[in-house]
Amino acid sequence: MTTLVILSLWTALAAFAASRALPEAASTAPQAAPFLGGGTPDTHAWSRYHFRPYTMTLVFVAFEMEMMFMYPWAVVFVSEGPKALAEMGMFLAILSVGLLYGWREGVFAWE
Amino acid sequence: MIGALLLLAVAATLAAGTLLAAWLDRRLAGGGGIASLAADWLAGPVRTEAPDDMNRRLAPAWYLALAAAGLCVVPFAPGHAAIDSPAGIAIWGACEALTVVVVFLHGWSPNAPFPLIGAYRYAAIGLPAMLPSMFVLIAAALPAESLSLVAIVDSQRGAWNVLRQPLGLPLFAVAILSLTLRGPMDYADGADIAGGTSAEEAGPARALWQAARLAMLVSACAMAATLFLGGPLGPVLPGPVWLWLKTAGMMAAILALGARIARPPPARMLGLVWTVLLPLSFLHLLISGVIAL
Amino acid sequence: MSHLARLAATAPAPVFAAIGPGLAPAVERLLARPGLRRAATPREAALLLVAGAIPDRAAGALDRVHDQVPHPRRTVRWDGTGDIERALLDARADLLGGGESAPDRRPDAPPAPWRGKGDHGQGGEGMMGGTPYGRPMAMTGADIRDGLQLDRYTARVGPFAPMLPPGLVLEVTLQGDVIVAVEVQAPAFDQPAEADAPDLVAARMLRLLGLPGAADRVAAGGRPRAAGLLRAVPPGLVPVGGRDARDRLAGCLAGRSQEIEPPDLAALLPGLEWAEAMLALASLPPSSLAQEALAA
Repeated sequence: MTTLVILSLWTALAAFAASRALPEAASTAPQAAPFLGGGTPDTHAWSRYHFRPYTMTLVFVAFEMEMMFMYPWAVVFVSEGPKALAEMGMFLAILSVGLLYGWREGVFAWE
Repeated sequence: MIGALLLLAVAATLAAGTLLAAWLDRRLAGGGGIASLAADWLAGPVRTEAPDDMNRRLAPAWYLALAAAGLCVVPFAPGHAAIDSPAGIAIWGACEALTVVVVFLHGWSPNAPFPLIGAYRYAAIGLPAMLPSMFVLIAAALPAESLSLVAIVDSQRGAWNVLRQPLGLPLFAVAILSLTLRGPMDYADGADIAGGTSAEEAGPARALWQAARLAMLVSACAMAATLFLGGPLGPVLPGPVWLWLKTAGMMAAILALGARIARPPPARMLGLVWTVLLPLSFLHLLISGVIAL
Repeated sequence: MSHLARLAATAPAPVFAAIGPGLAPAVERLLARPGLRRAATPREAALLLVAGAIPDRAAGALDRVHDQVPHPRRTVRWDGTGDIERALLDARADLLGGGESAPDRRPDAPPAPWRGKGDHGQGGEGMMGGTPYGRPMAMTGADIRDGLQLDRYTARVGPFAPMLPPGLVLEVTLQGDVIVAVEVQAPAFDQPAEADAPDLVAARMLRLLGLPGAADRVAAGGRPRAAGLLRAVPPGLVPVGGRDARDRLAGCLAGRSQEIEPPDLAALLPGLEWAEAMLALASLPPSSLAQEALAA
């Protein structure tokens, strides 16, 4: 509960400060144009952007899921002893196979 | 009562630390310094063509809020943190993850090409660069048998984690560089994209964003001091003073480090993170685990 | 003058340089001085330094860059003689003291008539079409790497883009941050032979590698004092005459000047990620991208 209150407090405080500090700006058309070193764009910059490392993000999700298991594991690690180390070692070894596969397939390149 | 005092300490540390960080930045890394923050603050604002106005104004605020929230889980004296949560490192981990979102929004909101490239580039590198730091956090929790930072500080009464977990601090330094958009991990604001996510930012918005970056440096360095240098533990001087000294030392080290390592193009760094840093963090977990048993 | 303005006056003056023919090396060495700060973008600057006589073909671009500098702003012109640092610092002090800001040079008109529909100008039919806020949305096109039909963003970059040699205008088409097409619309301005000096070429590359401090040290004749310089450059990047960008950086750091045939940018750059392309361009001596070189 305290955690929630404190986190909301900071967020609200910062958002309030930003809304006061950052004025509602209005720029003229030539000032608002995107900077391209004097050049001009054909279109808006927002687009269905080609996110090149998208295959990498799938491997990332696998590792993030693994983190969820590691939090409780870290708490009981010392009391469980070498067994816990072996178990996590196996888990990481299996994930590493996926990592090696991804590396061979070149997913960590800017495809 | 003590809770209010701790919150006050967090706010004061963040404010004073940001000023110190700005000064150190100018001294050690050729940054703008406090005077440049003031100069940016006085310059006129710019509103780009059809921007995402709400996110443009909220991105620096959220960045600041994440720095403040992260600093709240840091114990200022043995046994006392503003948020004494049994899942302290998970809260800090969430702040790290949300930083990627905030930096992305900062680059997305102006609707301009260079900031957008910076935003996507940072998302691509910032995400995997978070993995080693998660391993580092979990390794620090092993000897403490708890996810609470208060317990992690207590577990370092015999020996600091910097000795027991030798790979931890270098790996966490990479995370700090990435969180604060600095040096070799600054994929948001490169010179090849004219300042990246900040390329269209002028006036108070630029000053606030730069200040938020420095505030995040304070929080992340305080976290590093807590995880590896015993946080508020130390002889003679009171706990908070030790924490401040260690944090200031970390800040100087990170700034000097960031100004002395080259930043490869993002595609090359992506490979480095997955094939070098991640296996290193596996090794780090193994070493820390064996030593903890 | 308020306390804040007095504090701001002690900061290095942020300068964005629009460099014309002949003055590139002089400006690069000028901006490394401690009293001045090289602004990465006009948004960061208060002063626009116009160095040399800007040719007519770049006049419109100069006006565009000028209007992008936030208020209060000032233009300082330099023909290569006189104490320019003093002039810049004086202009800066005057602006902070409440001096007048330069007005826009271009008319305050949107880039195209707004034909968008809907409350927020969100465009035309469905997801596509229309010109929200006077500018069309990007449309899809084939990808050169994996064949996904995703948006192509086309823009002209230069002649005052800080990551390109002054004068060079490239019409680039990007998908994401990968270049899919390049057309050289104008060559780089002619510069004295000093612009090709190995220390300046190395300094430009170091800046792109995120080491502005090391870049200034190298431009001043010192050592870079930074780690991982050569390893940061991807191997095999834009080889010209059997030497890639990493070889060229190594040569420049060793103080060897290089002779390079004018490269065919339209053939070399497509397929490269933006950061790699800019690094490769910075590794080439600017004379290889100048007028006669590209005309030959």
